[in-house]
Amino acid sequence: MIRKRRTRILIKGSSDVPAKLAQEIQDSYEVKKIEESNNGLVMIKAREKAKQSLFYLGEVLVTECKVMINGFLGIGMVQGHQPELAHNLAVIDAAYNASLAETDAWKKVLLIEENRINKENQTFMNKVLKTKVNFDTMNV
Amino acid sequence: MGYVAVKGGIQAIEESIKRLKYERLKKGTVLKFQEIEGGMRCLIDQVMSESSLYSETLAAMAIKQAEGSPEEAVFLLRAYRSTLPRKHYSRTVQSEEMSVERRISSSFKEVPGGQILGAANDYTHRLIDFDLNEETDDEAIAWVREYALESGVDNDQTDLSDLPKTLDYLREEGLIPTCEINNNEPDDVTKESLHFPTSRSQRLQILTRGQTGAVTSLGYAALRSYGALHPTVGELRIGKLPIYVNSPFHDQKEDEDAYYIGEIKVTEVETLFPAEVQKGKGEKEIEFEIGYGICYGQNETKAIAMSILDRCLETGNPEYPPHNEEFVLLHIDSVESTGFISHLKLPHYVTFQSKLDSVRKSKK
Repeated sequence: MIRKRRTRILIKGSSDVPAKLAQEIQDSYEVKKIEESNNGLVMIKAREKAKQSLFYLGEVLVTECKVMINGFLGIGMVQGHQPELAHNLAVIDAAYNASLAETDAWKKVLLIEENRINKENQTFMNKVLKTKVNFDTMNV
Repeated sequence: MGYVAVKGGIQAIEESIKRLKYERLKKGTVLKFQEIEGGMRCLIDQVMSESSLYSETLAAMAIKQAEGSPEEAVFLLRAYRSTLPRKHYSRTVQSEEMSVERRISSSFKEVPGGQILGAANDYTHRLIDFDLNEETDDEAIAWVREYALESGVDNDQTDLSDLPKTLDYLREEGLIPTCEINNNEPDDVTKESLHFPTSRSQRLQILTRGQTGAVTSLGYAALRSYGALHPTVGELRIGKLPIYVNSPFHDQKEDEDAYYIGEIKVTEVETLFPAEVQKGKGEKEIEFEIGYGICYGQNETKAIAMSILDRCLETGNPEYPPHNEEFVLLHIDSVESTGFISHLKLPHYVTFQSKLDSVRKSKK
């Protein structure tokens, strides 16, 4: 599964999922810490719609962690102060980068979690859509 | 003019700081961050926006420490921000990717995707709800549970994470001039000091982190008398934007290789300004220009005012203060304006004494 999709699932979904997957790797491989979870900033680059130009919207607090497994680096990056999640994300990233056998079985787990996230999102959207206006023109 | 160092106030300062702590705690109430995060959503949004740092938890801490003073909380967050490394720049975010929670247009009744009211104070009576005095945690939890059990719509397939932009329809009709995608790297006002004339990216960055009251007041001034504008909100949308960061260790900047890091809530406004355009043979036509506003969190007044000021500064009429970029951009930053005003409280004994001496001499 591509990184963009899997990191979205791992961050938007339950934190139990990355915790379980990272533990699976840590039980079987040596995980070398390259950079402990630490805070930093990500500057957001945005495109405005009036002139289609780029500008900086502001910064976001993030937690970042780096680990290495079998010589392959993994990075965990997440919004806010979430040191444990950043570490777990880094381990999972390194596992994918190292093409560890365990990752083959993870696709199913991630798809189930993605399905749950999508269902939650649909419920949320259906609630928001109750505030949609149905205009009726008055005959006066 | 020179400054003279003085000493002797250490004990008084220590006692003053104790008094400040006493004022915060004297009623025996200790606010939890979670309570501030849960119940002070709009203040948190304002503080995050003005400090230009998105973190609801940090904003809640700063609000607690500042006893609810937005200017002090913004100062604390800006100071904290300066201690952190900037690790990455995000991939470009675009509001088409927004997961929309509220979206209205005052220009078009039937906007594609519909007018979605979401959560807003606009439709309330603005009467103080005295029942809130009796509200309990248990009642709140029960209400939320009940609301969650209410069914949503089941016959509306609108995808709120893929809502078309209202103004794109005007562009397709040729009523708004289309413009090419501009991929020039933006300037960053946090890295380089401002020089005039400014670039568009500098103006937008300063406006979006401007103090809410200052941005609103100048936007209002632009409407009321200085330039006689009457824009219409083409689209106001509030929702969450996903943030992605490119992999720092891979050369190819493939979209699919990016890291998702989370999402931020923003308010975005596109405002329409009718303008007379001179065509050939003395003919005139009406065209629409667009003002752009965006800010962290839900802060609709600020975003609308920003869109007005954006248009004013693009026009740049020196006759009117809200169209003057030096006037607007140098005065709307919370830390700069409150900091400079506050410095007047600091000892000016020597400078004032010298002025006093001059007055005495002139009286003789």
